Amino acid sequence: MAKIAIDPITRIEGHLRLEVEVADGVVTKAWSSSTMFRGIELILQGRDPREAWTFTQRICGV
Amino acid sequence: MAIQVPTETELAPTVSRRDFLAFCSLMAGALALPKSSEELIRNALTNPKRTPVIWLELQDCAGCSEAFLRSSSPTAAEVVLDILSVDYHETIMAASGRRAEEAKEATIAAGGYLLVVEGSISLDEDAGYCCVGGKSSVQLLKEAAKNAIAVVAVGNCATFGGLPKARPNPTNAVGVMDLIKDKPVLNIPGCPMNPVNLTATVVHFLTFGALPAMDALNRPMFAFGHLIHDNCERRGHFSAGEFVKDWGDEGHRLGWCLYKMGCKGPMSYHNCPTVRFNEGTNWPIGAGHPCIGCSEPGFWDLETYEPLELVEFTPPSQYPGIVPPEELITPVGAAIAGGTLGLIVGAAGAFAYDMVNKKSGMELKHDDELTGPEEHPDSK
Repeated sequence: MAKIAIDPITRIEGHLRLEVEVADGVVTKAWSSSTMFRGIELILQGRDPREAWTFTQRICGV
Repeated sequence: MAIQVPTETELAPTVSRRDFLAFCSLMAGALALPKSSEELIRNALTNPKRTPVIWLELQDCAGCSEAFLRSSSPTAAEVVLDILSVDYHETIMAASGRRAEEAKEATIAAGGYLLVVEGSISLDEDAGYCCVGGKSSVQLLKEAAKNAIAVVAVGNCATFGGLPKARPNPTNAVGVMDLIKDKPVLNIPGCPMNPVNLTATVVHFLTFGALPAMDALNRPMFAFGHLIHDNCERRGHFSAGEFVKDWGDEGHRLGWCLYKMGCKGPMSYHNCPTVRFNEGTNWPIGAGHPCIGCSEPGFWDLETYEPLELVEFTPPSQYPGIVPPEELITPVGAAIAGGTLGLIVGAAGAFAYDMVNKKSGMELKHDDELTGPEEHPDSK
């Protein structure tokens, strides 16, 4: 059984890490993790609701 | 049948000679350089030795990358990708995982590259708020900056901490210049940054071997030397006291000044009014939304829709105030009164002045006497 980790996954927006377990050429287990956090939900708390769009728009720029 | 794979020479250049020359003129213009510098720019950009670039994405949204890759025609990205060797850029590079990191390490080891940083850096390294290839954002930035000729921070996140640094700054985010002190750091803020400003900076760097002149916040003067307010197409309405007071009101439909709707143009240094976005198509104020001030540190914690207190900019006293006369006696009344006193010296002078005014049918009135156009003397 082999374990492969691919980090970073490119050609996507954001940061992604993949880990897979391979047995006899077949993926048996896989984990994906998003490796970046900004806390936009926390930043939005207590703000003027009219401003929410400017913040949430910046979740992804693609 | 064998598949025909184009060679590198067939792939490049992607830009025609005509477009290339037009691009050089555009860049000379953007950098406010004399026409004679176009030749210098042409020579620099046709240098076969391509400068390597590492483009780091940290706590970002890739919006600045997108702005750059989708920039105007002849696409700045085409020209720049022809003259630069972008060895590492997560969003566009073919390699993934270990191979991608190896490409970056090889460029770092060789040195002499330009480092572009997009996104903020989380100082809470142990929390793992931003990791690529198992390394924290602090580690990634310090490693990549080590052998760089210069560091260019793009977007408000990389320059001043941007969105992640907004109150309460959950990830303890900072900008590049808070961490990198031993290298020249140039800031191109904006949300996103305007690709013209990055391209012009790169062209300046390749042509003169140095970063352009910068202001106190390390922003290039050619792009951030003037307030948005200075060149705003709605400035005339500001000066005339014509303001939008509610969304969709008559003033909004007529394109009046957005100051009272919370516009941050009077405090934001940026060249948006002249360069605009999307191939010069439009910009936020042109579309009827107040400027949010995205070129300034901490703009996320300003109230987007609350008017600024004007500190840096004071309209000349002879202009109508931003509060209509019925609400307040503006300095105009005082100025007229003062001017009249200065003019009238002695009783004879006063008499003569009075006669002239009566002859011409003019009557000087103080602001508090003027109640509106329907009671203007001419309409009586």
